[in-house]
Amino acid sequence: MKEISKSVRKKDHASKMSGGAKYVADWSADGALYGRLVRSPYARARVLDIHLPEMPEGCFAVDRRDVSGENRVHIVMDDTPVYAGETVEYIGDPVLMVVGHDEKETARLAKAVKVDYEELPAILNIRDYETVFFDYNYGKGDAQKAFAEADKVYEEEFQTGYQEQAYLETQGMIAQYRDGKMTVHGSMQCPYYVHGAIAKALGFTPDKVRVMQDTTGGGFGGKEAYPSILACQTAVAAYKAGGKPVRVIYDRREDMEFTSKRHPSLCTYKVAVKDGKVIAMDIDILFNSGGFTTLSAVVLQRGIIAASGVYNIPNLNVRGRAVKTNTVPTGAYRGFGAPQTFFAVETVMNHIAKDLGVEPLEFKKNHMAKQGDATSTSGKYHFPVPLPDMIEEVEKASGYYAKREEYRKPQTGRYRRGIGISLWFHGAGFTGSGERDFIKAVVKLHKFADGKVEVLVSQTDIGQGIKTTLSKIVANELNVPLDKVFCENPDTDHVPDSGPTVASRSLMTVGELLRRAAIKLRGQWVDGEEQMVEEHFKEPDFIIPFYIEKFRGDAYPTYAWAVAAVELKVDTLTGVHEVVGAWGSFDVGTSIDLNIVVGQMEGGFLQGLGYSSMEQMDTDAKGRIRNNSYSDYIIPTSVDVPNLQVIMHEEEYPDGPYGAKGAGELPLVGVPAAYISAMEQALNGVNLYHAPFSTEDTMKALREVL
Amino acid sequence: MVTILANGFVPESLAECLELKAKRSLTPYAGGTDLMIEEDRGGQYLFLHKIPELKRIREDDDNLYFGAACTFTELLESALAPAILKAALSRIAAPAIRNTGTIGGNIGNGSAKADSALIFFVTDSALKLSGSKGERLVPIQDFYLGRKKLDLQPDELISEVRMPKKWLSKYDYQKIGARKSLAISRLSFAGLFAEENGAITHCAVAFGAVSDVIIRRKDLDSLLIGKTIPDAKAAKSAYIKAYEEAIVPIRGRVSAEYRKETCLNLLKDFLNKMGI
Repeated sequence: MKEISKSVRKKDHASKMSGGAKYVADWSADGALYGRLVRSPYARARVLDIHLPEMPEGCFAVDRRDVSGENRVHIVMDDTPVYAGETVEYIGDPVLMVVGHDEKETARLAKAVKVDYEELPAILNIRDYETVFFDYNYGKGDAQKAFAEADKVYEEEFQTGYQEQAYLETQGMIAQYRDGKMTVHGSMQCPYYVHGAIAKALGFTPDKVRVMQDTTGGGFGGKEAYPSILACQTAVAAYKAGGKPVRVIYDRREDMEFTSKRHPSLCTYKVAVKDGKVIAMDIDILFNSGGFTTLSAVVLQRGIIAASGVYNIPNLNVRGRAVKTNTVPTGAYRGFGAPQTFFAVETVMNHIAKDLGVEPLEFKKNHMAKQGDATSTSGKYHFPVPLPDMIEEVEKASGYYAKREEYRKPQTGRYRRGIGISLWFHGAGFTGSGERDFIKAVVKLHKFADGKVEVLVSQTDIGQGIKTTLSKIVANELNVPLDKVFCENPDTDHVPDSGPTVASRSLMTVGELLRRAAIKLRGQWVDGEEQMVEEHFKEPDFIIPFYIEKFRGDAYPTYAWAVAAVELKVDTLTGVHEVVGAWGSFDVGTSIDLNIVVGQMEGGFLQGLGYSSMEQMDTDAKGRIRNNSYSDYIIPTSVDVPNLQVIMHEEEYPDGPYGAKGAGELPLVGVPAAYISAMEQALNGVNLYHAPFSTEDTMKALREVL
Repeated sequence: MVTILANGFVPESLAECLELKAKRSLTPYAGGTDLMIEEDRGGQYLFLHKIPELKRIREDDDNLYFGAACTFTELLESALAPAILKAALSRIAAPAIRNTGTIGGNIGNGSAKADSALIFFVTDSALKLSGSKGERLVPIQDFYLGRKKLDLQPDELISEVRMPKKWLSKYDYQKIGARKSLAISRLSFAGLFAEENGAITHCAVAFGAVSDVIIRRKDLDSLLIGKTIPDAKAAKSAYIKAYEEAIVPIRGRVSAEYRKETCLNLLKDFLNKMGI
């Protein structure tokens, strides 16, 4: 193990373990006002009139008429209103905010608000879409010709459901307007996203807005875009509050029901096979975007780029659409569009292999991309593809081949077993040229006269340990003890914009910038003097430029790789499925801190298992999400997967710090395909087409196969 | 001595407790695991954790007696609690909740999903209800009048569970939750069985989390009692058919169809295990 990989005590360990860490809800409420959103009870309606109850002294309401800048939350397309416009587009769409002196009074007033609506027809099902927010198409080779020449053509449809991030800390924001400046702090992943959004909504110049991240209790993507929406709403209220802070902190139900979650998907795969090999894929992907676009464009981009999986498919045609329904807007969740398409491509490959009478893993091995091959977007896998070795590692840990063979034999008795395996990658960092063209990350190191060094970046520690790993890189390069380097929660008045904490980019991209900054500082180091160095993002030279309009070029500089096997035991009497074992090999390049990385892999793997099975969420006939509490939205606990084993495989990335590449999202992405494959085997080899797969689904399938 | 708190009273004997209960409208608070999440800030409570009479675990020749304020953990650690009860208690929630949650609270909540109540049903346990005018003993099946409706007077408390010792040894218990721990039952099953000299001397089954009240049908189980194993095998399909009619599930987090099918599967499995 490299020295840098050795685990250290996390920088925020003491403050979190002692209870000293200050989350947004921990701020004193003395003199603060409480805000509560009044939301649409209809999936789609016209807002006719608003009747406020009698407001006690100092209490007030804000709606779109109070938005001093543009009534648009700047995310990607800026169609999400701060407060609903003339219509509401989903159940929960915020019409106004009531602000009062305490929680109870505010709740009472919010309940007493009467809004007149004219209900309008709503679209709730992804299949019934009328509005297409984004429609992308790309390909390579000649798919049409390949299909004409095929021995056999397969067509299958796959569905995946919502997934809720279920971070421990709910969304919360506090805003205060004083001396011509709006200060907002709260739970978030991306302070500069929030900063830009507030400036636009209020019509303020950037210097009149300050955003600070409070210690944040988990994000998983759920605090990438949503905090911008909540921050704009809260800031509009604070602008009217005469200098008093306004705090809005969601309870669990509000958070689960009305904040973004993973896009449900409907993917149709047409696959052409000739001489036992896949020669072409024609793929049609639909993502359910909900009522507004929020992050759907970029989620869809990542999803469709991953649509052909880890395979070298010479002829490819991919269409992806994000469509509007009158449901809660979907957004970022660990994996960002890729889990949906990896589920489909891995499962269709399994089904074809089965039909051809070939062991699925062997079939997949025959199609795997290797170093130097073209990617789906005609870029290049510039670096070694370590999948063959990783498959070996997982086989050794799980006994995949022997079990697969054994469980293929007819099974009798109450319990049936199955094992499945899946292969995947996660493109490291932003899709395409986002880093170069939009983010343009800047980092700084501030050396104090006493020799202490502050890391100045906008990265947020949301539990993934980024404060620790970035500090380790700087300390290592400066050759100073780790306790001489520190990193505070970002404050836009204090740190440069080194980009958002998303896309598994922070360690790889910002970490490398800091490494270079530290080398610079080391070269200029003068004892006893205060010094500042700065470093700017530069795209690596090897990159084949990416053109988003054609989806052509290197979508990612490099890839993190994964192989995972899941073994299940299915109870034929009750439909209950139990994870007997889960084994994964993960290549994130060099681990900058082994404990942190293994923790990330285990956590993400577990979320993937939940996404495959018990994490069920749906809208009812009116478009309302009913699974809005932890007793209705079930996430796995460690008791559910007692045997979860993570193997780290290191394929160094030369342009990442000490060989590190993207890590955070990887472990979740391909898990459902392994799970469903195991389920198929346990159910007499039936073909399955959706995830999550419930106990009831199991009973239904059992009725057919037993 | 009664300690007076801003949100209620802490009596130290059952007599003090019943006197308070008779005079005031107080919510009994044992472990608080259900009440805590309701967060009724204006609530007035009768705290039951300091009453020795409610904590006793004892036996006589025929019965086991469990104080209503015994926690799940206390019963799991007790040598007197039978295995079937422990099987159910060990699947309740997680250790922290088992350390505070009590059987009295589990019963008093009035839910058909209560895991300990299922065992009290299948074992034909009775509840001792203590009130200002005295005590009465009510079979648990009569105590539940409907969903959240109990045969309990305003001055009364559930003070003890009396469980007959006979028939406890051969049992089956199955719980289906949405996951392995921290899961409310989506369906639960308990069964007791005994045979002597080739004849069935006892058969009892109960289904939890299926309808408003736990299902326990002695009249149906009597179809098998007294029969030889071969006769019981002959009567098996009629027995299952009778339960098929008796089980009318309500739709909840899982569908009624799933509940019914699984109940019958578990019933058949129970009979198989018992050699029928």
